[in-house]
Amino acid sequence: MTSPAIINRGSFRDPGSQVYEQGDRILRWVGRYAAGSYEQVRDTGTLDRLIKKGFLVSAHECTEALLPQNADTAYVLEHKRIPFISYPYEWCFSLLKRAALFHLDLHLQAMEEGFTLSDATAYNVQFKGTQAIGIDHLSLKPYEDGEIWAGHRQFCMQFLNPLVLWSRKGIAPNSWFRGSLEGIAPEELAPLLSFKDKLNFVILSHIVAQSRLQQRSIANHLHVEPGKRPKLSRTGMIGMLEGLRSFIENCQPPKKATVWGEYAQNTSYESEERSAKGRTIAAMTSAIRPKMFFDLGCNSGEYSEIALTNGAQRAVGFDFDFSALEAAVDRADDRNLDFLPLWLDAANPSPSQGWAQAERAGLNERSNADALIALAFIHHIAIGKNVPMDMAVDWIISLAPCGIIEFPPKSDPMVQRLLGNRDDIFPNYTEDNFIAAVAKRAKILDRNTISKSGRFLVTYDRSAP
Amino acid sequence: MTSQKTRLLALFTLYVTLSSPAHAYLDPATGSIMVQAIIGAAGTGLIYYRMGKAKVLGVLQRIFIRSRNRPQD
Repeated sequence: MTSPAIINRGSFRDPGSQVYEQGDRILRWVGRYAAGSYEQVRDTGTLDRLIKKGFLVSAHECTEALLPQNADTAYVLEHKRIPFISYPYEWCFSLLKRAALFHLDLHLQAMEEGFTLSDATAYNVQFKGTQAIGIDHLSLKPYEDGEIWAGHRQFCMQFLNPLVLWSRKGIAPNSWFRGSLEGIAPEELAPLLSFKDKLNFVILSHIVAQSRLQQRSIANHLHVEPGKRPKLSRTGMIGMLEGLRSFIENCQPPKKATVWGEYAQNTSYESEERSAKGRTIAAMTSAIRPKMFFDLGCNSGEYSEIALTNGAQRAVGFDFDFSALEAAVDRADDRNLDFLPLWLDAANPSPSQGWAQAERAGLNERSNADALIALAFIHHIAIGKNVPMDMAVDWIISLAPCGIIEFPPKSDPMVQRLLGNRDDIFPNYTEDNFIAAVAKRAKILDRNTISKSGRFLVTYDRSAP
Repeated sequence: MTSQKTRLLALFTLYVTLSSPAHAYLDPATGSIMVQAIIGAAGTGLIYYRMGKAKVLGVLQRIFIRSRNRPQD
């Protein structure tokens, strides 16, 4: 029996195109409103070329009546599923910059073929490993000479402004972006910029001038009717896109050395301990061969790499530290790993939010891991964030049916560091309580002590009898 | 009418043209539309500057290479 097609809760803004999920299949409904644009993109061969060049996920038209038919249906397309959907507020600097450059490159490529993009939402850029790819084929539309870039403000809010905040002010935009899903408005960013920042043409024009003009247009009730819009020449449009590209290409992340960024190189981690962890991970992944592997507290991705070279198909790593994530992105790039490192505050993971509190899915809702590791992780939430042991274990185990969790005892130097500035109010943070919490939810397959300080790994399986 | 409004109206009059929004569901916002008119003009200038620079460099390169390849008397 065919599963019912369920509309993706984030796909409703464009009345010409909506995405449905039917079991494992991803289907796109194209209405008559958008059919003309789609046909031109398809018939000129542009769509196929963009797919071949890796700008867009694959798409083919379905002849079967997969979606509830209505008089407005023009086409149904099927796309290849993106292994893990991530959101811009989960990206580190490199990934946000990569997505921004990708968007501009896609637009420039489209312009070369006589098309433009109807929007510039960062949510339409996804990652396969650390490689950006576009998911909205219906963003492409024929370019009409003189038309302005409708997605300009959206591009500024979702790409340019967060990158400027990050590179010029050293402030990661993720929490702001997460609270404001449309991004950071020029009117909000402009007051934070210094005179020196404003000397740059891109900042002065795209952020400061846009902010002033937008505020004045609101104050003076000015608006531009669609038929009376200023003309932007093709050369002007390309110049603007290239100017943005060149500016963003030169944006650099703030150089802040952090404790966790240096973690992988830290000698407090003995090599024997690391080898023991590696062997345990390799044993699990080669036995299970997970299609999706989660690495909670991934740091530079050392253990994800071991999982990927020992049977895991792809991995998503999570860490709170941006320097660690940058190192993880470098690792994925250098070694060509199908590994996506994402920003996560485990005590406050991405929630389900947006329209009807469902437009952007929360982490638990998106979790599709077959296996996970949580190494040197649990003490950060159980002690660092006061989450009771039982609740901490419950959350970790809820993310994947099997996995490996490391438990560092209170005597461990890393735990002692967390307790350094505070009273020990954690009588329940014990080895016995940890084991009991895991055993309540899954079968413990293995327990392996890996350090002299008493750190040990527990391999669990929820599905084992 | 303030001088500000006059300037904005002048800007509109300068760039006003007819265009039909095909499959456009996004509100581009007035500030963005107005700023694009300004940036677009600068962007055009940038493109022509780059093209001109490339041409001048090409000519200089040709002269330089030709003079270097010329057989010595």
